[in-house]
Amino acid sequence: MSQDELSAVQRGYNTREELEQLNVLPPEEKVREKRVAIIECTEEIPCNPCAVVCRVDAIRKEGLCTPAVVDWDKCTGCTMCVAVCPGLSIFLQQIKDDKGYVTMPYELIPEPKVGDRAQLMDRSGKVVGEGKIVIPTYQAKGDAYPRWVVTVEMDDPELSYEVRAIKILK
Amino acid sequence: MEDWRIYKHPILEFDRGKEFTIYLDGTPIKAYENETVAAALFASGLREFSKSIKYRRPRGFFCAIGRCSACMMEVDGVPNVRTCVTMVKDGMRVKRQKTLADWASPFLNLMKLPPQVYMKLFTKPGIIYKPAMKIMRQFTGLGSIPTKVQKDTIPKTEGSQGEISTEFLIIGGGPAGMSAAIEAGQRGVDTLIIDDKEKLGGQLLKQTHTFFSDVKYAAGKRGFKLGEEMVDQISELETVKVLTETSAVGYYPSENTMLMSGSGNTTLKVKAKKYLVSTGAYEKTLVFDNNDLPGVYGAGGVQTLLNVYGIKPGNRGMLLGTGNVALIVAYHLLQAGVEVAGVFAPSFRRVRGYFVHAAKIQRHGVPVVTRHTIVKALGKKKVEGAIVTKLNTDYTPVPGSERKIDCDFICIGVGLNPAYDLVQLFNPKMVNVRQLGGFVPIRDKQFRFTKDAYIAGDCGSIEEATTAVLEGRLAGLYVTQALGYADESVPEKIAEYEHALEEDRGSPFSTGLKAALQEITVDNIEEVLN
Repeated sequence: MSQDELSAVQRGYNTREELEQLNVLPPEEKVREKRVAIIECTEEIPCNPCAVVCRVDAIRKEGLCTPAVVDWDKCTGCTMCVAVCPGLSIFLQQIKDDKGYVTMPYELIPEPKVGDRAQLMDRSGKVVGEGKIVIPTYQAKGDAYPRWVVTVEMDDPELSYEVRAIKILK
Repeated sequence: MEDWRIYKHPILEFDRGKEFTIYLDGTPIKAYENETVAAALFASGLREFSKSIKYRRPRGFFCAIGRCSACMMEVDGVPNVRTCVTMVKDGMRVKRQKTLADWASPFLNLMKLPPQVYMKLFTKPGIIYKPAMKIMRQFTGLGSIPTKVQKDTIPKTEGSQGEISTEFLIIGGGPAGMSAAIEAGQRGVDTLIIDDKEKLGGQLLKQTHTFFSDVKYAAGKRGFKLGEEMVDQISELETVKVLTETSAVGYYPSENTMLMSGSGNTTLKVKAKKYLVSTGAYEKTLVFDNNDLPGVYGAGGVQTLLNVYGIKPGNRGMLLGTGNVALIVAYHLLQAGVEVAGVFAPSFRRVRGYFVHAAKIQRHGVPVVTRHTIVKALGKKKVEGAIVTKLNTDYTPVPGSERKIDCDFICIGVGLNPAYDLVQLFNPKMVNVRQLGGFVPIRDKQFRFTKDAYIAGDCGSIEEATTAVLEGRLAGLYVTQALGYADESVPEKIAEYEHALEEDRGSPFSTGLKAALQEITVDNIEEVLN
């Protein structure tokens, strides 16, 4: 049996199709309108920082263990949830002027800088293209969760549905 | 000289302190003030620390917490020093222990004597036992006792001689023990907390990732930050005394006394009204060919090297196990700039750890390879690769599916066993419960496993650090109540933490655990034991 025939929990990552079925990915018109959050946290684990940190009440969690649901009308794309998520499973996506933008947490070396070129990887770790870092911010709320939140730009807007990690090229 | 130290890390800054020089068999080696002897030697490229007793196979760094005895060396003339828990001093002289058996072992190996022969050899008649023992000891490689030990090699711990009494004695200063000390100490309970490491914090200090759970308790915080915060809180409490580098070695129920040994051969008897055992857990290991080669490490050992001392365990590693520990260590390795060949385990039904932990390493190119297992480690003196094989659903290997994985270290993260050794000495009722990790005592709703002894954290049931914190807080409050210190805030706090613990265990991950816990929890422990 090949790895492709495994289910998400046997594989350890989701495919775009699976996330679409679970209604985790925002509709295309929202992505073209503004930067919105995508929470790829699909199983029940006891956790709630994303819902607590959201200033516009766009993230709903019924109980500590129920998966979070994003209200894309309310979401302002402020990146707070990206920075606090302990599972590093929240991303922002936007398509603007026919370019794709993905915002993600980044905890590796080297330090990201504006204009850095980066390899783009999909959820399985496959390199799918190359992009450019446009916004790197070091987010810290007090001392609790300092972490880089990096936005990368890619020429193919379709890729913004797939890209979930970067490797900075030096 | 090789240098395996990490100088650039995305999360941590390493405070190594002053630079020292130590000598390994006479060769000078760079070391730092805040490193252990084993860490400094490892950073300089040493992989073989000792040899196995009988067959003289190479033994290397393994557990890093003073449990496995693979790093025993002669330090400043004292044999069998566990170098992984001994701090570096300038000019220290470290020697590998050589024995008669180093040249004799090839012959002994050839003879292949069954173990019972070794057990019975020279035990009778009694008259030859003692002299024979002396010679046999020479063969074991356990060093020779120095005829003249320099006085300054045996440090004294001030005020830890003799006998003391306290109201509340906590054994183990990890998340559970520290939480209990904070809750009880705040309310005026005279508390003593002991730990065998050089500082409190337990495994928390090695965790660079942020925790799940409710933001009210620990969520969103990095483990080591949470640990440092708790250590600070404890140091501000006048009611809480701390003894580090002290091990609890025995409990005597008839005298209600805990015997402890501190650094430098000091012993201490402690009589307490209430005890909390929060000794944590041991790592499980895995059976495969050559699993004793230097380069096969426990997950905790790798975390210690990486996140406490800032030393790379190798250039490219592979992990065994798909539980949270293995997945998290894989991520820690990536953060330190170490390549990870993959995470391998049978895990037929699902990746055993949290899905998000698996997803976050895979997107960085680390494959999680389920339905596989390791067959053997390759290499003579240290790991130079590994052979893995695919498994059928009945756990038999798929013929012809064996392949080589290029790596220079193998990290075992296949789960934990509760550290029940000390618990047993209280004469509790022990049960073996798979869902809780192994042998655990029957306890009551107030975490008591005997009349005056409480349990919290991983030694009672293998769970998360966040649940250990809540259990510890609850244990601290129960003790406060039992000792009659409770103010009106206590019942309220107890209800709050009990609720939080219940919520934390609300995910499908904890269903089996919750049922198992219910089964071994009774109303009143005294009725069960009598």
